[in-house]
This record gives sequence, structure tokens and C-alpha cells, in this order.
Amino acid sequence: MWTKHTTVVTDRRQFLTQSALGFGVLAASSLLPAATMANPLAAKKPHFAAKGKAVIFLFMHGGPSHIDTFDPKPALVKLNGQPAPPSFGKADFQFTRMDRVPLMASPRVFKKRGQSGLEISDLFEHTAQHADDLTVIRSCHHDGFTHVTGQSWMNTGWARVGRPSVGSWVVYGLGSETDNLPAYVVMLDGGIKEGAPAYGSGFLPAAYQGTVLRTEGPPILNVNRPAGLSENEQKRMFDLLQDLNEEHRVPRADDSELAARIASYELAFKMQMSVPGVADITKESAATRKLYGLDQPITAEFGTQCLMARRLVESGVRFVQLYSGGKKGSEVGWDAHNECDQNHQFMAAKVDKPIAGLLADLKSRGLLDSTVVLWGGDFGRTPFTDGAESGGGNRNGRDHNPYGFSVWLAGGGSKGGRVIGATDDIGLRAQEDKVTMHDLHASLLHLLGMDHKRLTYFYQGRDFRLTDVHGENNLGRRLLA
Amino acid sequence: MSIENIGTCGWSVFFCLLAPALLNAQTAPQILEKHCAGCHGVSRMSGLDLRTREGALKGGTRGASVVPGNPAASLLLKAIAKTGDLQMPPGKNSVSTLDVEVIRKWIEDGAPWQAANTQGEPSWWSFKKLKPAESKSIDAFVNAKLSEKGLRPLPKADKRTLIRRLYFDLHGLPAPTEEIERFANDTDPQAWPKLVDQLLASPRYGERWGRHWLDVVRYADTGGFETDIYFPNAWRYRDYVISSLNGDKPYNRFVQEQIAGDELWPDDLALTGGFDPSKEKLDHLAAKVATGVYTIGPVYHEAALQGDQIRYEWLTDVVDTTGEAFLGVSLGCSRCHDHKFDPITRRDYHAMMAVFAASEEREVPAVTQFSIFGFKSGYPGYLHVEDLKAAIHKIEMTARQRVVDRVRARFSKDVLDAQAIPTAKRNAEQLALAAQLEKAMTEAGLQENAQGKEPDISYTTAETAERERLIYELGQASLKANPVLETATVLSHAEPVPEVYLTSRGDWRVKGDRIAPAVPAVIASGTTIDENPLTRRKALANWLTQPDHPLTARVFVNRIWNWHFGRGLVGTPNDFGRQGEEPTHPELLDSLAAGFVADGWSIKKLQRKILLSDTYQRSSGPDELNAKIDAGNRYLWRFNRQRLDAETLRDSVLSVSGALNLKMGGRPAIPPLTKEESAGLWAKNQWPESLDPAEHARRSVYLYVKRSFPYPMFSTFDSPDPAQSCSRRDSTTVAPQALTLMNSEFMSAQSRQLARRAEKQPDPIDTLWRIALGRSASAEELAKAKRFLSNSSLDKLALVLLNMNEFLYVD
Repeated sequence: MWTKHTTVVTDRRQFLTQSALGFGVLAASSLLPAATMANPLAAKKPHFAAKGKAVIFLFMHGGPSHIDTFDPKPALVKLNGQPAPPSFGKADFQFTRMDRVPLMASPRVFKKRGQSGLEISDLFEHTAQHADDLTVIRSCHHDGFTHVTGQSWMNTGWARVGRPSVGSWVVYGLGSETDNLPAYVVMLDGGIKEGAPAYGSGFLPAAYQGTVLRTEGPPILNVNRPAGLSENEQKRMFDLLQDLNEEHRVPRADDSELAARIASYELAFKMQMSVPGVADITKESAATRKLYGLDQPITAEFGTQCLMARRLVESGVRFVQLYSGGKKGSEVGWDAHNECDQNHQFMAAKVDKPIAGLLADLKSRGLLDSTVVLWGGDFGRTPFTDGAESGGGNRNGRDHNPYGFSVWLAGGGSKGGRVIGATDDIGLRAQEDKVTMHDLHASLLHLLGMDHKRLTYFYQGRDFRLTDVHGENNLGRRLLA
Repeated sequence: MSIENIGTCGWSVFFCLLAPALLNAQTAPQILEKHCAGCHGVSRMSGLDLRTREGALKGGTRGASVVPGNPAASLLLKAIAKTGDLQMPPGKNSVSTLDVEVIRKWIEDGAPWQAANTQGEPSWWSFKKLKPAESKSIDAFVNAKLSEKGLRPLPKADKRTLIRRLYFDLHGLPAPTEEIERFANDTDPQAWPKLVDQLLASPRYGERWGRHWLDVVRYADTGGFETDIYFPNAWRYRDYVISSLNGDKPYNRFVQEQIAGDELWPDDLALTGGFDPSKEKLDHLAAKVATGVYTIGPVYHEAALQGDQIRYEWLTDVVDTTGEAFLGVSLGCSRCHDHKFDPITRRDYHAMMAVFAASEEREVPAVTQFSIFGFKSGYPGYLHVEDLKAAIHKIEMTARQRVVDRVRARFSKDVLDAQAIPTAKRNAEQLALAAQLEKAMTEAGLQENAQGKEPDISYTTAETAERERLIYELGQASLKANPVLETATVLSHAEPVPEVYLTSRGDWRVKGDRIAPAVPAVIASGTTIDENPLTRRKALANWLTQPDHPLTARVFVNRIWNWHFGRGLVGTPNDFGRQGEEPTHPELLDSLAAGFVADGWSIKKLQRKILLSDTYQRSSGPDELNAKIDAGNRYLWRFNRQRLDAETLRDSVLSVSGALNLKMGGRPAIPPLTKEESAGLWAKNQWPESLDPAEHARRSVYLYVKRSFPYPMFSTFDSPDPAQSCSRRDSTTVAPQALTLMNSEFMSAQSRQLARRAEKQPDPIDTLWRIALGRSASAEELAKAKRFLSNSSLDKLALVLLNMNEFLYVD
């Protein structure tokens, strides 16, 4: 794993007096001018009152087709098999020259859902049951037509890799509600193309970086005791270590870093005790497990991640990001250059039920109001077929399309049952009420009570924002109204 | 660019208007320029322009900024004093109390704007030419400043502390126990200088200090991003750095070689007679290898990229790295716009691009012509290898075709015919027909698919036998084939030479004026760069290494100071511009820099001077009175306690366990990853673990640096992201570091080895202390350890010691 990690020592004063392991010796020795070192993860007040407290970001790695899921395009049926009319202009794509390939209508069936009549395709039958909670933004766009740039735009608001990720900004802005779990957790289902910077803290302190949590094996790297070491024996090691460290520290009492490092062992020990508990979903009821699809092989993996996400948010984790479609072997995830429909049937089958289960579970526990659930990917996909001619011609796939695509969000006080913006008639470009990644990020921050213009970090001589100097189309108020 | 036309560069206008500096305090216009003009200059944010008296009087959208003679009515004063609603500058930076007073006084005095500096000498300290060294010692400078600030220097640290400090500092390894004893008992007054010389002469020195330089030049073995391309020869540059430092190569030559080794010492190894080139030839090859620094930056590789764009990205990395590493000025901002805070313009940036635009990467032989002949005479062996691979491939494709045929057999002729038509020419009906076949092919795993399914290929008995025979023969043939021709990846020259045009907002497609090669105008002091494509870098290198160059020596001396003390005399070693910090000891820095040049740019001489100073040898202990005045120790009343950096930590663990493999150089060693660690790797074959376990215990500087996947233990301990130059590492304290040191397989294995070392000795507990911490255990510690061992093992005790703050922190 890559993480240069997140969890910084908790407030030392607090640690010293409330230490789970009770090091009276530390509490007595006091005199820690360490109080000068503020805890970067202390919970902070938002800029204004807001319902949203936490985020669960469902990232469809590879780029899901908006045309086959949340953005119906009846005009494509008429134009199926024909080249795109010249009026739609030209654009660059990763593999495809759009003048050489035919348009391809979606074979999916779109239906009006819920009270609101929000149109969602039959790939997301389960999720569609929550249509009245969903706001689909159909006019998203950026200019990154490769995975790395697309993922970077979505995750950091910048095309070049290395800026702080949304989760880092959120944790920087609001701090953490838990001191024995990381504030920002990422669950992968394989390699992601943007790599560790997808959940990196960029120029923000490393304390704000995402921590990778696994659903199999040790949940966090090195969080399990070495094989053959009993809890008691490790406790004795720990006691001896802290004792020796304390002797070393006393004549160096002015050095707050030494105290901080002693405290970091306390926190590590707490994480070691609490992480496996949170990660252990075996105690969830059979009904809950079924709700997330844990009883079916196809949905078990993403379902486990979704259930874990709910448990983490419940325990005070601020930002959880889940990936569907990462690389383990030769899977391509949502990157349907080839046989888009077949690909999406398979991929949607993996995530649809778990997502619906997550929404239902959050709602029944009263957590949906305080949790923003965001669904999206690198970009959308082209209305025409992929242009890669090698390997037997057109394979009914779709190339990357960053110029118009959909994301949806639910919860955090947002009203739902609505569509914002629109793409053109073939779903090539965002056309009405266009939403950039800056706008999307500004909107997300708004739901959490943060003004994207005031969430700044001073670096290299200037104040940086998640939204750069943009975010004009902040949807925040509209989402809530 | 001459002084006459400096006016064409927005920021330089202001630069020339500056009043000459008073001896210590800055004048009001200088203060405004430093803190305000970034936004309230050419940008006129809120309509306010604080570059002129007129602008300040006129004010902006909020009305007059300065009312001469009336500080209380002057909005400017309120804003910078941060007393009212409007607080400037925004964010963490504030105008110092002293400077606020200067502004108040200045307004009281009627806000006179002093005459412009027309001498052409830049006013910013670091852009002024270097003057000859003073004869004062380091301690004289530092102690004078200490007494000025009312600080008392702490006494010398004890000898055990000193030798431990010196070993970690110069070698990045703990001092061996017997060396500590020898030094502690050495009564020779020259013991310390002798020890310093001994350590500077060791090859371990270049490994440690080479790693520092590799941070600055964003060294990595791969290009990063999704494909993370491998640089087969990056290690040659890494080894070049290590051997240059070990050989005390003069810094001016070190700079010249990296920027223009090929232009300054053109040579061709292939023109050597025999197999053994002369030392001169090898030195010239090394000078070429040095330019490899420009071939190891981040490479964004995507099918959709265009050649011009790739080149533009490369030039961006080259100029940014040159600016940060050699000039100590962040040029990056100027790619898109004139620098807001430094007088570096967009034209300056593109002129630097033009210096490198005539160059491109090339692989050159790293062996003589005779070896090349030898390689080519053995070439047919390769043909046989390739033939064998092709024969194996043929069997595999035959078997695969049977799967294809089985799928095709399920479809009618109509479908097969439709599929034979090129995609763009199929009509709607043909598209639909072909789609059936293509879908079936995908389901059979013959085309890429979401499930990751592979085709179900099976071989006949005859095929299996033949394939296995061929694979065996391939192995035999590979063993006999000649080794790969050894090459180095270096800079050479592009043909034809691409032009550089002014771009806008970093968009390579927007082409403005053609830009000629030049160095940044504000510090050029008359240096021009000829258009000749074969000498552009040479001109840059020669300019950078002029003895009175304002930045080169100052920046490097400050780096050295930073690495010894944990903080530079300038706290921002990569930014000597206006956004950087100003030096705490400007005269000391200048004197050291000038002395460094006068000493023939010898790095080791400079370090010796520093290491022999009292300032370096001070205790790191506490002092309440001093702390009240200077808690951050900016004025060096004590030595800064430092945590081991990631590589030093790993090397130290290996060293005390006895496992450390001191083999030097060569291609990167690739340590194993645990299953959990490797879970996030994009492609598993990109981390080919070294087969020989001895390689896993190599020094950290030789480990594989993969941009998309930093070695987990290193990133946990703040190793820098090689996306860009790093001048100073973070030192964070986070819980996962504790988890790594307590629970990782690496630490368990090493602590076991350490325990095995100790248990052979008569007093295992004391031995553990002496090996790991360089001292005997106290009676109290012994008692605690014994109590611990009553129901635990020596392995665990060893692990506890390796987790101690005392192990990780250097006093």
C-alpha cells in the first residue's frame, strides 16, 4: 500500500489523562509544552450550519457510461449506426476519431422512477428504488480524456496528479470525529490508475491523507500483531517501551515531538484494538447482510465495502471512498472499450444492490441526512463506438467521454428526485447548466457546511483552494432547496 | 535582456523602482512590495496598486489606502496591523510588528516615496553578487548573533553523543559500538578532526549525501502515472552522484556536468582502442551520464498525447528542476504567468526552455567499440532466441485459434461475412450481425472483458511436448546469448532544433512570440546565450558557475547547512526568491558561500569547516531562558534533535541486526513486498522482487524508486514524492509509523537477527543496548529488561529497543 498516513497523535493532554493504558507516569510528568502543537485532526466547526457531516464517495473506476445509466438519449435510437451529424462538432478522444465510427444507441430500457419520475436505466433497478433521494447531475464535464487525468479531475479538481484530494480537503476543513480510526478511509478492489495520489493529501499535511482499509486480511497495513505474539505479550512490550521512552523524554522535556511520538504509540495501540472491531461485519444481522447482497457471490465484494462504509461513518469517520472496477488481474472495470453493454451489465450487477442497500440502511438508521453519498467515475463514455480497430474491428464498446457525463448524489439534506443540467441530444457534451469538477466540489463542500472560497491553505506563497479560482456554479443551495 | 528594456517585463518595472535598502530596516516601499504587490501590483486586485505613491494615495474600491500624515485614517495601516475587519495579507502571512511600525512612521512623515534605484543592482539580497569571504569563523558569526539576541550557547555535547551524531549525519548509519568506545577514550585533542576526516573519506559518506542530492533532483527509477515507464539507466546517474560526492568533485564541475557534461567535454567512448578506456575517457562518460538528471523526471505516457505536448511537458520538468535544484528559485509559476512575487517573467521561463529545447534524450554505449564489436559478433545467438520465442508463440496461437473457430462455428455465414467488413463500412444490419459474434468472442475471453476472463486454451499432447521442448531450448539459448549492450541515457542534441514559442497559461497549443535562449534577465548581469544549439547548455552551465554568481554557491552552501542542522540559514532551501524566507545569518551565509568558491568549490572542505565548529558540536539539551527568546532555535544556541529519515531508519535497523549488505552501485535492488503491501500495485509484474535475498538488505539508496508506488515503509516515514524537487523533508509523527515498527514482518525479522547477535555474547541485555543505542544499559534499565524477559523473549526485547525514541532520534 502507498499511504503516507493519516492518523496523527490525538491531543496530548487528553491522551495523558485519559490514556486507555493508564500511564500514570506520563500524566504526572506533565510539563509538556506540547500543547503548542495543535492536533491537526481536532474536530472543527463548519463555516455555516449544515446537515451533512460525512461523505461516502462511490467511485466507478474506468468511467461508467452515462448514456446507458442515468442520461437517456432517445435521439440516439434514430441515429444508431450513423456517423454523428457534423453539427455536434469535433473533439479529441483517447482512441477514437469520431468521424470514423457510428453512433450506438443504448440497448438499455429507461423508466420513470418513484414519485419524481426520475429516469434511470434497468442497469440500476435496485438503486432506482431510491430515485426520490437522488439528484442526478447530467451536465458534468472536464477535459481529461485519459483515466489518470479524469480521475485526477474528479478526485482533486486538477488535471495533473498531485493536488490534495477532496477527502483531504474535507478532513482539513472539518477535522475528525473519531480518535481511534482514520478520518479518511479508502477501500480499493484492486489497483487504481491514478495511484496513491487519488487519495493523497498533496501539499496539505500528511495527516489528511486517505488510509487504505482492506476488507480481507489485516484491514490496515500492519494493524495486526505479528503472528505468534499474544495480546498480553505485546502489551508487556508496549509497557516496557513507553517506560523506557519516558525515561528518555524527561531530560528532554522541552521537545514536544518526543511526547508526540509516545502518544502515537498509544493511538496505534487503540487503532489496533478498534479497527478489527469496526472491520468485523460478521456481527451484522442476516437481514442487513442480505440487504447489501452479501449472500450473493456477485455482490458480496462491493456489498462488504458498502456495509463497512456505513459502519465507518457510524463510528465517526469523515470521508469514505469506495472503488468499483480496480485492477486485480485482467479485469477492465468500468472501462468498456469493448462490449459496453455486456461490461456494464456485469459491473452494475456487482454494485447496484449494495448501493441500494447502503442507501436503505443509512436511511433507516437516520444517517442519510448527515451523510452525502456521491456516485461517479473518471468520466462518461462516448455515444459512438470505440474506434480501436485492432483485434477484430468495432467491439460494441464506448470510448472515454469527459465532455458530458453524469454523477449523482443523495443525502446530506439534499432534496432528491431531481435532475440538474443536460447533455446535448446524443450525450456528447454538457449543454445546459454545465457543472465543472470545481462546481461539483464546491457543491459537496456546501452540503458539509463549508464555503469553498473560505476553505484555503497557504502554500508556496499563496492561498490554495480545492476549487482553484472557480466553482461559480455552486449547486449547494439548489440541492438543499 | 538589457536594463533598457527590462520595462517590458511587468514585474521588473517594479523591481527597478525599489528604494535602496537601508542597512537593516526595510523602507516602506520595500515592505509594500514584499507583502502587498503580489496582488496589489500589476494585478490591481480591488483596484489597488501599491507599487507607486500615487497608487497608494488613490487607493482602490475601498477608497484611499494612505492618507499622508494621518496613520489613523489610513486603511493600509489598519489592514496590515490586522486590527479591523479588513486584514491583509490574507492567510497566515503577516507584516511583522516592526514593519507595521515602519509604515506608521512613514505615513506620519507624509509617505515620501524614495527615489528609484537606477544602478541596476538588484535589491533582493539573494540576487546580489557574491562578495569575497570575510575571515571570521562560523562560531564568530553565530556567537555574535546569539549575544545580540541575548542567547547563551549551550556547551559541547559529550563525546558519545557527538560520535553518534556524526555517524548518522555523515553515513546515515549508527556508530559501531567499538568506534564509540575508541573515540570516547581517545584523549588526543585532534580526535574530533580525525574522526571527521575518517568519516568523510568513507564510501558510506557518498551514499548518505548522495541521497540528499537525489531528493533535490527528484530521482526515481520510473516515470510515474499509470504506465510508470522504467528507466533502465537511471541507476547510472544515482551512482554518478554517489561517486562524485565520495571523490569530492568540485561543486562547480558537478553542476557543469549535470547541465552540459556532453557539451563541455564532448567525447565518444566508442573511439577508444582496446577494451579499457583511459581515465579521461571514463571521466567524460561520467560527465555525460550526469546529464541523465534530465532523463529521470515524471513522464506522462498516454496514447493520446502528441509529440509536441510530450516535449513541452519534458521542458517544463527540466526548467522547474533546474530552477529549484541549481538556482534555488521556484520558476514554475512563470510557465503560466509573470511571477507574482519574483521578477521572473513568462518570457524568462520560456527562454530557459529554449536553452534546453535543442536537446533530447539519447542512449549511448557505455562500453568501448571493441565491446560493441563483441556484442555484434554474438548477435546471431539472439536471432536464435527470437526464433524460439516465435515458435512457442505459434503453438500458442494455433491452440487459441481453435477456441476462435469453435465460437465462429456457432454462427451463420451472414454473421461471419458481416464481421469481415471493416467497422466503418458496415450498415446497421451488418453492425447488428457482427455484434453477435463479437459478444460471443468477448464471453469466451478472447477479447478484454469486465470479468477478466481468459480464453480456455488447451494443447494437444504433441503440442505440449513440443512447447516444453522449445521452452527448455529457449532457456539454453538465452544462457548462451551475449549480455545486453550496456548503454547510458544522456542528453544529446535534437535534429532539427525545435523552436520555443511563448505559451499562455501553460497551454502548449497557444503559440505566441518565438523565444530565444536566455537566462533570467534580473540575474543575467550581461550574460547572453548564443542560438547555437550545440552550446546553449554549456553557456547556462558556465553562467551558473561563475565565481560571483549570486545564487549558485549561496543556495548550495545553504543546502549543506540544512542537511547538517535540520534547518538552513535560509529556511526554504529551494526558494531564495521573495516568497522564501530571508537568512537568519546573512553575513555567515555569504561568507561561507564565498569561502566555498575560494576553496575550489570543495564540498568536503566546507563540511569540515562546519563540523569542526562549536556551533555543530553543541548539546541539543533544553534551556528555559533561551527557549523563551528563541524556542525554534533559529539562532543556533543548541543543536537540533532530529528524527532519522526513512532510509537512515531502515539502514540503521539492518546495520544493528547485522544484515546490512554494503555492496555499492548497480541496478536497483527490489525488496519483497508483503501481500498486503502489494495489494495496491497496479500491475504486479512492475515490482520484480530481486531473486537474491542478499539484495533485499542493500542500503536504501540503492532500492527501487517507483514513482507510482513508493516503498511503503519509506512513505510512512516521510520519504519525498519524486514528482518534484524536495529540499527539506517533512518529519511527521503518525500512528502508522508505530504500527510499522511494532508489527511489520521486516521489523520482526530484523529484531530476531539482532537478538541472535546479542545472545552469543556474555551479557546479551547489555549487548543489545550497546549495539542498538551505542551505550550500556543503566542498572534500572537492566532490571526492567530482566523483569520483561521473565515472561518474554530476547527477540521481543530487541524489537522494543528498535522502537525506542532513543533509537530514532539523534541528539
